[in-house]
Amino acid sequence: MMKIPDMVAKVLLTAVVALPAVAFANPATLNHPGRTLAANCFQCHGTDGYGMESLAGESAAEIVEEMLEMKWDTANKDIMNVHAQAYTDEEVALIADYFSKQ
Amino acid sequence: MNRRDFLRYLSMGAAAGLTLPLEQVLAAAAVPGNTGANGRVVVVGGGMAGAAVAKYLRLWGGTGVKVTLVEPNAIYYSNIFSNKVLTGDTTLAKLAYNYTALKKNYGIEVKTTSVTAIDPTSKQVKLADGGTLPYEHLVLAPGITFDALSVSGTIGNKAKIVHAWQAGPQTVSLQAQVKAMTNKDTFILTIPPKPYRCPPGPYERACVVADYLTRVKKGGKVIVLDANNGILAEPNNFGKAFTSIHKNITYVPNAILNSIDADTGTVNTAVGSFKGKVINAIPAQRAASIITQSGLGLANDTTGKWAGVDLLSYESTAVAKIHVIGDSHASGQPKAGHIANAEAKVCADAIVRAMRGESPNPNPRTNSACYTPITKTTASWLSVAFKYDPALKTMVPAGAGVVESATINKDNYEEMNKWFSNLMSDTFA
Repeated sequence: MMKIPDMVAKVLLTAVVALPAVAFANPATLNHPGRTLAANCFQCHGTDGYGMESLAGESAAEIVEEMLEMKWDTANKDIMNVHAQAYTDEEVALIADYFSKQ
Repeated sequence: MNRRDFLRYLSMGAAAGLTLPLEQVLAAAAVPGNTGANGRVVVVGGGMAGAAVAKYLRLWGGTGVKVTLVEPNAIYYSNIFSNKVLTGDTTLAKLAYNYTALKKNYGIEVKTTSVTAIDPTSKQVKLADGGTLPYEHLVLAPGITFDALSVSGTIGNKAKIVHAWQAGPQTVSLQAQVKAMTNKDTFILTIPPKPYRCPPGPYERACVVADYLTRVKKGGKVIVLDANNGILAEPNNFGKAFTSIHKNITYVPNAILNSIDADTGTVNTAVGSFKGKVINAIPAQRAASIITQSGLGLANDTTGKWAGVDLLSYESTAVAKIHVIGDSHASGQPKAGHIANAEAKVCADAIVRAMRGESPNPNPRTNSACYTPITKTTASWLSVAFKYDPALKTMVPAGAGVVESATINKDNYEEMNKWFSNLMSDTFA
């Protein structure tokens, strides 16, 4: 028979694995000009950046730096390079600002 | 397999999606108050496009946007990853999603029924359960329907010819047929002319079935009969997979399907006849009947099979206030779940803006990403980001264009699992 702490651990593990991302209404980004751009990141990074490859709450400067690095590294054909190369520097800044405010 | 067997099969796993008390606690926080957008939206179809548009209408539009989702099935089985059901790597029950989170987290009303008629003058839809629903905006996300195949044979043999291109009972049937194969048998896959749902999907299926036959059955062949003149998606990766990874695959282009004799297992095509033990025929496709049979002229693209839309809002070019998203609309974007989610967000944003008296975003962006298993442990990917071309009034590839992964490897396989998990949460939770 399973010991109670094991049962708790099992339930918790199940809960963590099964817990879907639930979005929150965030007044800071409700009508943010980068919202529909950033929404293109949600599929792989979670709604509003809350996911397994989380972006929510990252500093804007850091996101911009990483995105521009991938944007200009055209020799590298990794999946994020493909996406970084699709946006202007201004759009990258808006996307970064959006996630930094989550 | 009959319906009862199918239900029994499903009950072996947890068929329902995720319902956690914690969600209820969080629910009130998900939808903002009144954002200035007020009105009723009816969404028809609860697949990747329909579920996402319902969620984002509430998440971005707030409490003034009343959303009703009409979907005849209580459970959505993900087409993405359903090829892995064929090889026993996953089960249909693990690909089951319901609408509980959309109801609880976002206050979306869900009606488990179908739409029988649309009246664009009085702006209401009629439901199969006898009810009617008024709308200010109607979003149609009904997916695809299949053209009939020319199949001869006994009723029992004809029933074995399945497409399994909509995850559900046919997936289970095909899995049983693959499982019953021996190392002497041949699996025949027919690919329809483009456009069809999920461009890399059939090639992926050929790979994972070939891999399964080699690993588990220690033999067996796959013949791919492609109506198109070459591999449509990831030509480098699948070309490599067909020639050097899965040497038991024979790829035949220009094999336009004429007929199938289910009794003898013969597939007749424009380039000859082929025999196999299992015949997996994916028919040509068009928008679901609510688009093609509505009597409203919604299927108004050049082929008459798909809905023409204004890509700034996905509003039909035939009927005002009716939007069409996902596989049933006509554009240069692929018909696939990941990009359907992106189209849904553009549509939701445009409807919310319209309700506030604003114009749609003049620069909508969408993206497509698809990871595809090549073996049980390795995968490739295909991706493209789209931008709006105002001169052509269409979505065109931005930046690097359509790119496939440079390699097929285990890292991609791990990324694939994360991608799937996030994509499904972004759509259904």
